[in-house]
Amino acid sequence: MSHNQTKDRAEESAATEKLDNLAVITQTLSPIQSGKHCWEIAARPPMRVPARIFTDWEGMKGLLDDLEEKEWSALRQLTNVTVLPGIVKAALAMADVHPGYGFPIGGVAAFDVETGTVSLAGVGFDINCGMRALRTPLTRDQLIGKEQALLEGLYADIPAGLGSTGKLVLEQEELDRILTGGAPEIVALGFGLPEDLEYIEEGGVIQAADPEAVSATAKKRQRKEVGTLGAGNHYVEVQVIDQIYDNSAAAAYGISTDQILVTFHTGSRALGHQIGNDYQPILEAATKKYGIEVPDRELICAPIQSPEGQQYLRAVRAGANCAFANRQMLAHMIRQTIARVMEIPEGEIETLYEVCHNTAKQERHVVDGVERELLVHRKGATRAFGPGRPEVPERYRGVGQPVLVGGTMGTMSYVLRGTALGMVETFGSALHGAGRAMSRRQAGKQWRSDQITRELRDRGILVRAHGRRSLAEEAPGAYKDAERVVQIMAEAGIIAPVARVRPLVCIKG
Amino acid sequence: MPYTYLEHEADIGLEGTGETLERAIEAGVQGLLDLMVDTETVEPVENVAVSAEGTDPATLFVALLNAVIAERDITGFFFNRFQVNEIDQVDGHWRANGILHGEPVDFDRHAVGNEVKAATYSGLRFIDQPDRKSLRCVLDI
Repeated sequence: MSHNQTKDRAEESAATEKLDNLAVITQTLSPIQSGKHCWEIAARPPMRVPARIFTDWEGMKGLLDDLEEKEWSALRQLTNVTVLPGIVKAALAMADVHPGYGFPIGGVAAFDVETGTVSLAGVGFDINCGMRALRTPLTRDQLIGKEQALLEGLYADIPAGLGSTGKLVLEQEELDRILTGGAPEIVALGFGLPEDLEYIEEGGVIQAADPEAVSATAKKRQRKEVGTLGAGNHYVEVQVIDQIYDNSAAAAYGISTDQILVTFHTGSRALGHQIGNDYQPILEAATKKYGIEVPDRELICAPIQSPEGQQYLRAVRAGANCAFANRQMLAHMIRQTIARVMEIPEGEIETLYEVCHNTAKQERHVVDGVERELLVHRKGATRAFGPGRPEVPERYRGVGQPVLVGGTMGTMSYVLRGTALGMVETFGSALHGAGRAMSRRQAGKQWRSDQITRELRDRGILVRAHGRRSLAEEAPGAYKDAERVVQIMAEAGIIAPVARVRPLVCIKG
Repeated sequence: MPYTYLEHEADIGLEGTGETLERAIEAGVQGLLDLMVDTETVEPVENVAVSAEGTDPATLFVALLNAVIAERDITGFFFNRFQVNEIDQVDGHWRANGILHGEPVDFDRHAVGNEVKAATYSGLRFIDQPDRKSLRCVLDI
């Protein structure tokens, strides 16, 4: 936590000058002395609370440059969020922050459940998108010579990419049960193991979801999409644990060096997307009806206690359960492929943990010494509960919740744990990935998919994608350095590193 | 077709331009279709009707893009072209309907592109000049 005071002052004055020149945000920007790598934009009307950014000076410089040069700026989006009614403490950005729509990606905002608002952009269209890690009993040596078979097996068995359909074709009644019942409903249908459920955030189901709040169009779109990976930055990856940083947490998580993990990233598929589509006009009307001034049209929202807000939240919970069910189905299918190719029993492939990073969830947090009921929006941010929280599975409770952070198909991913300081500073939230540094269009121009495949193969990583541009657009060089953003969050004390994992085989949508 | 993709770090900005609102919307939808699939590989075998409504031309544009995204899932088709039939304005509500041309997904022939999750109200803009209309929004990829 040591600070170079002279350097800080120079940085502070440079940043303040930059902001003053902008006349977009005229607030002062200063490093908070209580924590390293935390910057605050003080609240001035119409901001209701400050904006706080967890990043280093290099990251802050990049964000300030974007504010001047780019039409969509993460910093402007973050300060816009501070304007929403009922926001508590501060709008927060994690080190992987980058521009989204309305909210920045890597953004966290908590609202008082009585006086606050629920915002569509704070949840996003991929409701409850998240990551599941499976731990296998395999070590790196056992995979030698099997990598190609794993690549082909996962490519053939796991429906991915635009237009793919799942093995389940659901009638509306079955889908409604999934929207209410989440992952346990999928286990009840015979897919996956009952013990998976304990290691999913929320146990794989959020109560008080209402299928009636979800449109017929959303359900029609989802009919064949349970058990599909999707596209974009969604993936399934076979990985090896490269390094352990925290032996006691690793022991609690049941992981050790050289062990093989399988991690995948996906969300609520078409049903979640359609909930966003359907509620966009509804929340825009609500924003007008309740006289809420929003600085960006995508920040449409409704008071949490209004009929529109309650209806949207019931739909969001249904969307979240759809994502839990989707990941449970995929876990089952991936487990089958790994077990078949590696000739091991399916039961030996266990769920390490599943985290969510596009959510608005009701949680209790202590704010300024008072315990309050809050609706925490995490848009591209992972819940990262520290030790002792009852929501964390008993086996992990002593060390804190596992936080899964995806790198790129060519760089390291991380298993982290939540900390006590994170509970105080970020409502128990942390980063979710490397964060994009370059647009898809730019990446598509800079790289070719076959070139990426070759370069990664030379480094011992096998990749294959369903979409023709996916590998170029998802090129490792199009992302920020995951190692750096993890290190910043660790130095800030928001998370603690447990393990670093290296990609071996990766399938993209 | 005069559409433009705009630089956005995580997602894609889309702008459709035309002499009339109809042409601007068609251009924007074409930009969406060209993202989803190489439209050269898709034959216009069947017609699918789509309609949408909004409170102004900009939200109408977003609603129509989202209707096209939804039809892709519901029909299991890829589309290569879109034509506006009619746009009207009743009691402050803008409505549009049109026809998508395409065929069922065939992974052997169709070169698949991006999955677009949704069209959003972010960056929403309608430019209304006598001889040039332009519509813009950010697509969530």
